[in-house]
Amino acid sequence: MTEHFTRRDLFHKAARGTVLATLGGGAGFLVKKAHGQVVWQVDASRCLNSRLGEVGVPACNLCTTECVVSLSAVRAVNEHSRCGRCNICPAYFNITSAVDERGLPSEKLCPRDAITRRPIGKADPEDPANNFYEYLIDEEKCDGCGKCVIQCKEPLGLGSIVLRIRYNRCVDCNRCAISRACPKGALVQVPVERAVS
Amino acid sequence: MMWGRLAACCGLVGRPLTAILAVLVLSTSLPAQTIPYQRPVDTAPQEKTIGGGYQTPPVQKPLPRSSWLQLLDVAVLAAAMGISSWLVLKRRSRKALVALAIGSVAYFGFYREGCICPIGSIQNVAVALTDPRYSIPMVVTATFFLPLVMAIFFGRAFCGGVCALGAMQELVLLKPVQVPRRLDRALGLLKYAYLGLVLFFALKPAAARDFVICRFDPFVGFFRRTGAPHMLLIGGAFLLAGMFIGRPYCRYLCPYGGLLAWCTRLARRGVTITPDKELDCGLCADACPYGAIENMRAVRRNCLYCARCYAACPRDGELARAKAQLVQLP
Repeated sequence: MTEHFTRRDLFHKAARGTVLATLGGGAGFLVKKAHGQVVWQVDASRCLNSRLGEVGVPACNLCTTECVVSLSAVRAVNEHSRCGRCNICPAYFNITSAVDERGLPSEKLCPRDAITRRPIGKADPEDPANNFYEYLIDEEKCDGCGKCVIQCKEPLGLGSIVLRIRYNRCVDCNRCAISRACPKGALVQVPVERAVS
Repeated sequence: MMWGRLAACCGLVGRPLTAILAVLVLSTSLPAQTIPYQRPVDTAPQEKTIGGGYQTPPVQKPLPRSSWLQLLDVAVLAAAMGISSWLVLKRRSRKALVALAIGSVAYFGFYREGCICPIGSIQNVAVALTDPRYSIPMVVTATFFLPLVMAIFFGRAFCGGVCALGAMQELVLLKPVQVPRRLDRALGLLKYAYLGLVLFFALKPAAARDFVICRFDPFVGFFRRTGAPHMLLIGGAFLLAGMFIGRPYCRYLCPYGGLLAWCTRLARRGVTITPDKELDCGLCADACPYGAIENMRAVRRNCLYCARCYAACPRDGELARAKAQLVQLP
């Protein structure tokens, strides 16, 4: 087998070079205008559940039902620094349920029992109503249904519970399925630094 | 009823005494059923007010995949393509390729949950090239261009054992039947129609933009072990059909396969059937489930690097030794 350099080889070489140059040019163009990573984020000012307004209307649970991963990538977060640490937390208790012997509502609000309540600070055993309570949301249980979010806002709460995206679950879809369904367009893409800082 | 409010006020002001008073006053007027609720506080109590050495717990912030792990994905993609072409073009080993396919399904499929993949990145690249306000991270650019550049030199090495969708179908293909050539060609045009459709939806204005490939990805539901029922059904149908018809998604629908097929026409190297050594027995052509061997010659644009032809060759060992004498085929 002798090596021939035929016209076909020449054509192939030229074509390959052209295609490579085109691909390289395209890639260069994209790299030049490339940005850092962007991630999806719930805009609390647009989210129906955290937006000010009527309390007691059914929570919008599209974040739970629409997300493409099994346990939604959206979950509720209690921003502790903004939490009122109330004795009767409207997001922890179902405040319309009957009062038990301790003077607390008998039912909890969270359908997945994801919130835990514990007394904190200088405890006054004589008067539990007077103590502060910490409300922790178990990340692994929460599916982002928004029931607590809608309760913890004016006029009942301080709005310390908001919906956030857990980026270890979010698969960063091109067009987030929740954003497609969200009536308020509350899911937006932001630079990663803004989302996690 | 000021029960809650009073209680919290007590909490903020001189606590024990007022609290006891409040309880004494209020215990008489407690409602039998529910508490008409009012917000107890107007500002959140901070660590000092709470006392008892309380420290505010940090809010959990699960971070996105860190950038070096994203670079690792690109490196794994490049390495897997290198291994794939080496296994097929040099080693000519079907067994090793199946092992690579299993590894790819595990990494790109089940570990990375099918994202990001070069097939879907067509849309992002197309939008980024046309919309001045849309841009993509460099990782996506690399994911899109690497397999194409690879195809210009070594053919569709990406399809063989690297693409998670392809590898999955490669692994379920147990009883291949030959698709009649004319039907195969006609169905093969579908992927270009699909590519056109994809670009049509991706290049719409931002508000109406849709990423069709991702929405109708047949296997991503399996990789994520969850998904819309109709998509899981479609994926199941593809896998079931794929047990007999070789890689139906790759051959008839995959838009990226269309791009790779164009690039592969220029490839320097490809799967070769050695004419001076062959027996003309046609076993390789029978073994090829993708109709990529015509007249005892490999058709590069259709060759999906599965190495079945080598495995079926009675002169496999000899061919491996004779690789120095391989003939370049157009």
